Amino acid sequence: MNRRVTPAQGRPERLVAAPPAARAPTRARPGMGAWREHHSRSFRTSLARLAERPGATVLTLLVMSLALCLPFLLWLLLDNARTLGGHLDDARGIGVFLKPEIDAAAAKTLAETLRARADVADVVIKTPEQGLAEFRSQSGFADALKVLQNNPLPTVLIVTPKAAASPGHGAPALVDELAHDRQVDQVQYDALWRQRLDAILAFTARLAGVLAILLGLAALLVVGNTVRSDIAGRAEEISVMQLLGADRAFVRRPFLYVGLWYGALAGLVALILIGAVEIALSGPLNQLTASYGERFSIHGLSIVQALALLGASVVLGWLGAWIATARQLTLGHPQ
Amino acid sequence: MIRFDQVSKKYPSGQEALTDLSFELDAGEMAFIAGHSGAGKSTLLRLVALMDRPTRGQITVNGQNLVKTRARKVPQVRRGVGMVFQDHRLLMDRSVFDNVALPLEIAGCTREEIGRRVRAALDKVGLLAREASPPVTLSTGEQQRVGIARAIVGKPPVLIADEPTGNLDPMLSAEIMKLFAEFEQVGTTVLVASHDLNLIKRMNKRVLVLDHGKLIDDFRPVAARSEVHA
Repeated sequence: MNRRVTPAQGRPERLVAAPPAARAPTRARPGMGAWREHHSRSFRTSLARLAERPGATVLTLLVMSLALCLPFLLWLLLDNARTLGGHLDDARGIGVFLKPEIDAAAAKTLAETLRARADVADVVIKTPEQGLAEFRSQSGFADALKVLQNNPLPTVLIVTPKAAASPGHGAPALVDELAHDRQVDQVQYDALWRQRLDAILAFTARLAGVLAILLGLAALLVVGNTVRSDIAGRAEEISVMQLLGADRAFVRRPFLYVGLWYGALAGLVALILIGAVEIALSGPLNQLTASYGERFSIHGLSIVQALALLGASVVLGWLGAWIATARQLTLGHPQ
Repeated sequence: MIRFDQVSKKYPSGQEALTDLSFELDAGEMAFIAGHSGAGKSTLLRLVALMDRPTRGQITVNGQNLVKTRARKVPQVRRGVGMVFQDHRLLMDRSVFDNVALPLEIAGCTREEIGRRVRAALDKVGLLAREASPPVTLSTGEQQRVGIARAIVGKPPVLIADEPTGNLDPMLSAEIMKLFAEFEQVGTTVLVASHDLNLIKRMNKRVLVLDHGKLIDDFRPVAARSEVHA
């Protein structure tokens, strides 16, 4: 009885009556077929257990799916903000708005001086006329602009700094110098707010991550608590099984499947919730994007992301059930 | 097959349930444990089934030293010991068949094997016709017989029963006890705790008498007839 059961010895006992001395307890190692059978049985009975208590099941599913869809919605928002930010990639140029009294010749001289600098790659002069034409074609204010008697726009120099001159954070020294030039009215350095946007996006990404962890934990606890009360309701069954020689895995299996079902169903509900949020927001969002001339579009959850949500949900459900059963199973041990 | 060697069991409450108990039961032997309630009969059976561990002493069941058995190996030991309880402990949400099938499912038998052996066990206890019934529709005696079928379906070398006739009338009790005696004849070691001295006397088997946790008598069939009344 003490020796290890080899696969050959583990074959089913034949029904032919064995001599008393050869009698052995039913073999300890389950065969693959029986193992698979218990899995499929657990798979089915666990679903039936969920159906037995519809109230508790629905409540658990709702709480779990809400906890799951919140970080995903935030993530989606973030993802869209990123693509919006992607359109501003070419915003490295420094817009130098000259004072209105600076004429074309003076502007040209200033441009030449700047071009001669080591940290400047290129300078483009944009005359007030060019600016007005651009404004007219892009902003959709053509009619309103017609009302204007004279061109209010100043001359603008688009200064592109050399890549090496902008080390990544903060405005390069060039921006500072330009701002203090007497001929310059205002300096607009888009890269600066681009950096700020990046920082905000990074912060939101971290926030989404932290929220995902916290809400994931909440989902884990919800499943764990539900499975725990399920276990409490089946204490007698578990105790009988343990007395009949069921090992940990056997007792635990149906409960793990319960957790698995909770995870899968909550994942589906979360996907439906996210879809509903997308539909609810799509009208106003489309109006918003249309006002930007369709230069970017809003996208929903991709198939890969949806599958990731489902996968995460299933893993959380399973893990929650595993944790809930771990404590309970030690109760059947001899003192 | 079952060997107790100077076994004592003290519960955390301080109550000494068994004191310095030694006896040996051969393979295929049947014995009764007699004594008043609180004498330590249940404790003795709990030790055999590894539901409790002794405070002192050595216990060997099926050649396995229970004191040295690790928690992980406990299920394997229990599969070698068929258990019958006074309140039968059937699972009421499963059919008679599924209740009896449970030990085989746990042991990992195939579906066909389970079907064959469950029916053989139910046939043995005379309940083959009731396999699809829920246990609640059965009489107390029938429920106990389902409990016995469940205990023997895995062909364990050892069968223990704690007051299996505690809830039954005398006629049913005698029937159940005869059933246990039949398993002894096929080589199973049978240990039955009972306070019903009249019944034990009629069975004409070895009797271990416990009193306040001590083994005060151990008599064999021949002696049993004359000494039970003492």
